[in-house]
This record gives sequence, C-alpha cells and structure tokens, in this order.
Amino acid sequence: MTAPLVLEDVALSGAKPATITLTVPPHRAIAVVGEAATGLDQLAPIILGLRRPASGRALVFGEEVGAMGRRAALAFRRRVGYVPEGDGLLQNLSLEDNIALPLQFAGDLSPRELHGRLRVVRAAFRLTNAGGLRPADADDEQRRRAAFARALVFDPSLVILAQPFDGIGTRAASELLDLARGGETVDGPRRTVFVTSQALAERLRARIEDHYRIVGGTLRPES
Amino acid sequence: MTAPIAALGRGTTRRVARVGALARFTLRIFGGWTTLTGGGRRVVRRVLLNQIWFTALQAVPIIIVLGGILSYLVISQAVRELGRLNATELIGTLIVVAIVRELGPLLTAIAVAGRSGTAIAAELATNTVMGEVRTLEGIGVDPFQYLVLPRFVAAVVSVTTLILLFDIVAVLAGLGAAATNGMSSARYFDIVLRSVSFRDVWLTLGKGAVFGAVIGIVPSFHGLGVRRGPTGVPVASSEAVLVSIVLIFIFSALFVAVLR
Repeated sequence: MTAPLVLEDVALSGAKPATITLTVPPHRAIAVVGEAATGLDQLAPIILGLRRPASGRALVFGEEVGAMGRRAALAFRRRVGYVPEGDGLLQNLSLEDNIALPLQFAGDLSPRELHGRLRVVRAAFRLTNAGGLRPADADDEQRRRAAFARALVFDPSLVILAQPFDGIGTRAASELLDLARGGETVDGPRRTVFVTSQALAERLRARIEDHYRIVGGTLRPES
Repeated sequence: MTAPIAALGRGTTRRVARVGALARFTLRIFGGWTTLTGGGRRVVRRVLLNQIWFTALQAVPIIIVLGGILSYLVISQAVRELGRLNATELIGTLIVVAIVRELGPLLTAIAVAGRSGTAIAAELATNTVMGEVRTLEGIGVDPFQYLVLPRFVAAVVSVTTLILLFDIVAVLAGLGAAATNGMSSARYFDIVLRSVSFRDVWLTLGKGAVFGAVIGIVPSFHGLGVRRGPTGVPVASSEAVLVSIVLIFIFSALFVAVLR
C-alpha cells in the first residue's frame, strides 16, 4: 500500500535549517515538533505544493504536488485536508461560508445537498450557533473549529495540520484532533494525520502514535 | 561608465517582465472562467453581485454629480460663445464628441479607478498578506476564480453602465444649460440627436469594456502580487490606481488614433 505521505530529503530554510526524511504510514497520526528557526512552518506548504523546498521532494499518495500543473494541483489538494497555520479563514465570509467554499467550488452539489452536508458538519464541530459569525466576531476556538471543519468537509484520507492548536485549550484541541482522526468504522479505518507544532501538550501527545523532533537539522523519533 | 546603461537595461527588463506577467495574469482570468463548476458559478455570481453593488450602484451619485456639473459648465459656456458666432449648431458636436465620446468614458473610468480600483487592490493585497490567498490554493479553490474573476466582470459591467449614465446625465444637464441661455429644448434635442450616431454608442460601450477590464485586471494584479507584508498594501493600492489611470489614458488615445 502506498504511503500517503513521503518526505525525501526535504530541505527547509531558516536560522537552523533542517532536512527532513520521513515516511508516514496510512491510518496513523504523526507529529513533527521543532523550533520555528528550523523552518518547520514551511513543511505543510511544501507538502501541498504551495512552496518549493530548497531541495528534496514531498510525495502525497505517491505524487509530487509541487511538480503538477496549477489546475491539477488545485484538484489534487481537495483529496487532502489542510488546516493552515493561523486558520486561514477568509475574513469577509461567515464561518459557515468558509466551510462551504471548497465544497461549492469542487463540484455540482445542489444547494439542498450542500446545506444538508453543512448541517452535519456544523453539528459535528459544534458550530451550530456560531456558523453565521464572521471570523473577527468569533473566538479562537470557534475559528479553529471552522478551520478543521473546512479541512474535513470532503472526508479526506490524509489531513495536514500546521500548528493547529495554537490559542485553544487542551480539551478543545483533543476533541478537534479526534475529529480529524475520524472513527474506526466498518466503512473504513481512521485517517492519516500529520501534525507540525512547536510544542504539544501531554494530552494531545497521547492521541498521536508517532512523534518526531527536529534536532540538529535532522528528524529524530521520540518515545 | 557602463553602469547607467546597465541600470537602464535592468529597468527595461523588469518592466517588460512585468508586462508579460500581466498578460499571463489576464489569460488566467479567462482560463478560470472556462473551468468553473456549477457550484463555483453560484459563488462567483454572489461575489459578482456584491462587487456590482459596490462598484456601480454606490458610485451612481458621484457619476451624476460629475456628469451634470461638467456638462452644465461646458454647454452653458458653449451656447453663449457659439451664439455670438451664430454657430450654436456646433453644441451637438461638442456634446457628442467632447462629452459623450471622450470625457464621459475618461472621467467615469478615472472615478471608478480611484474608488473601486483602490478597494480591489487593497482588499486582495490584504488577502495575500493575511495568507488567505495561499490558503485558498491549499484547500483547492482557485483564487483567480473566486477573487479575480468576479471583480473583473463587475468592473467591465459597472464601468460600461456608469459611462452610459454619465452620458445621459450630461445630455440632460446640457439641456438645462442651453435652456438657461435661451435655447429651446426642442432645438437642443434636435441638434444633439442629429449629431449622435450608432458609432458613438458602440465606441462608448467599447471604451467602457476596455476601461472596465483595465480596472478589473490591474488592481487585482497589484493586490495579489504584494510581497512586503502589511506595508505593501498601501503601496500596491497607489501603484494600481496610478497604472490603471495611465493605461486608461493610453487606451483612450488609441481609440482616437485607431477608430477615428
């Protein structure tokens, strides 16, 4: 089975630059922790082909998104859930419209189907009463919930989370991480989740199977 | 000794590269149009209506004021001066050539560039600086389809309709000016209608489309091209308006040179 995510000598740039080699097996949650100076924040954009690494390459489902044409890359990224650093919500849209946006652009869902899907997502992420808020009027947790909901609205099998828990409590973070992982059901196994962060609370660490830390420019496994 | 020549060459290369980037940017807008999904079309339509509300409808008062005052000033002076020369027939030509065909489109486009061009550039530059544009790409939404395409179409539609409004207001204000200077409304309309042709209408609409395209494309290009963080937002806005106005003048001159 193809690994959902492979990083081959991906060189990050920064004050303490690191080179990352890693294979993320399917259905596992993996966290990479490191200082900002290592260029850790570049990892998610490199994986999604939004940024070129200084050298090396990132393969998602066996394909290098950065080497694809623009349109093919846009379509491919819909197969991956992505929570960017700082949530990346559009300020002039409500939280619900932010969640709906990728769904609307992806295909030809009728307004009725779209609203049905959104109702389910809103309930799952406990945004039923906050969906109409603009990001500026919502609190950190509501914004983060909306960012996670938008990332998971296509039910992707791989989820990339860049510094996803900044500014929210451990309880909410744990709940969002569980939602990102998805349940073990008869229809399929849990999602593959790749997290980058400068630090992770113990309660979150316990929910993630494999831990790595960037030390001295390379990736080292942690117990 | 060769340093000034080298600097000149570098500057020219940079400008030519910028023109090439602008051309590619324009092609991407049209490419975005052809690949929109049904759902995407619905979103773009919603953004488009918002943009038309802001760019066209909210600009109606300023266009009425500009068209009315300009026409009143020009026609009241012209009726008086041309009357002394027994050449009042020429106010029809003056209204059609000077105001309807040239000044109407030019002033309308400048007003929209100053008002909406600044807003488009500042909004897209802020989207870029805040990382929203990159996030859109990250979640599989084409920023050209979502951000640029509706602004481009709205600018074309808005500028064209506002130019028509400007011209109608100018003709009516001209009537007021002519009447206060002793000319009957029947004679005024007779002179104006004899001077106007379908070619003038098409030229006006053509200018509306071209100037609107400039206002849709150039501020979007500058807004999405911002690279210097928050301090780049005002720079992008002022550059966008300046370049838009210069291009509007150049295209206006080209219309006269090519289609006279």
